[in-house]
Amino acid sequence: MSSSEVIEKIKEALGDIIESIEEGKGVVHVFVPVDKIVEAARKLKELGFDHIKDVTAIDYPKENVIKIIYHASSYGNVELSKYIVGLGYSIPRDTERVPSLYSVWTTADFQEREVYEAFGIVFEGHPDLRPLLLSPPVAELKPLRKDFVVKEETIFRK
Amino acid sequence: MPEENGKVYVGNVNVAAKQARKLLLGKLRLGKLVDWGTAFSLWPVHLTTSCCGCEFAAAWSPRFDNEQHGALPWIGSRQTNMILIEGTVSKKMACAVRVVWEQMPQPKFAIAMGACAIDGGIFYNSYNIVRPWEIIPVDIYIPGCPPRPEAVARAIIELQRKIRREGIASKFVEEGWRPDKDYVKPKEDLCAWWRG
Repeated sequence: MSSSEVIEKIKEALGDIIESIEEGKGVVHVFVPVDKIVEAARKLKELGFDHIKDVTAIDYPKENVIKIIYHASSYGNVELSKYIVGLGYSIPRDTERVPSLYSVWTTADFQEREVYEAFGIVFEGHPDLRPLLLSPPVAELKPLRKDFVVKEETIFRK
Repeated sequence: MPEENGKVYVGNVNVAAKQARKLLLGKLRLGKLVDWGTAFSLWPVHLTTSCCGCEFAAAWSPRFDNEQHGALPWIGSRQTNMILIEGTVSKKMACAVRVVWEQMPQPKFAIAMGACAIDGGIFYNSYNIVRPWEIIPVDIYIPGCPPRPEAVARAIIELQRKIRREGIASKFVEEGWRPDKDYVKPKEDLCAWWRG
């Protein structure tokens, strides 16, 4: 299955939900509106993308946007397993609550907790939303947002 | 038999220990034996805080064989007397390090391994690390990123020399604490996140 066929399949399945779709090397990036994300995820899962490899968020302070991307792939379908679909959406930076995709892909559990602790975004519908790696006082700083300033230290002490 | 007579004989353990110390270290001069024994029975605890743990594992593998120096990693913190901090200590891990350090019996020793354990290394201005010397008193530092297993062996030999030269173990038996090291008290509450 070539990449254009995969794109055609995704376009067919998701229909007019898609905001934008573009192809990278081995990756297909699909962007949808926030309120349609669960529906889009269900349709992708029906297509054969049965797990997610990664949940990531990128902060764009100049455009006042945070992009959240779920990288979905397949174990069951050999043809689809060669591709990764980046299913994403953009939200304004002050958004506090977004829908969780735990109900669709269970593997989103720990990944969403990491996004929660590093960016302070609350995933609604997540069963156990606690900080995963950071301690709660550090997680409150939202350390992976671009406006978090790292305290510069010299390596030599006075 | 005391049980038959309905009596139990109770002695003052502290007084007995003091007299035994006086006898052993004063008249019999067993201090050197204590130091010698401690130097060749260093038991590092299995507490792999970071990636230098791979080198730690290699240092006890057949090729480098640190067991020949009389040191063997052991699992329980109650049965060990040395802590080898491998690399970065994150804020959550600092709690575990301190708890393990408190559980270990005296006299205990600490080696800090790798650039991260000295002053942060590549994470020198990170928001989520602590320096090991802020939470426990460190005896020996090993530089390198990561240090070779030979460097770990060198650190253990240096620690043995230090114990025998300064008589740390016998001084501990004499005094009841380690006079050469200050008690390090962490500035912040390390386990606050855990207690909630």
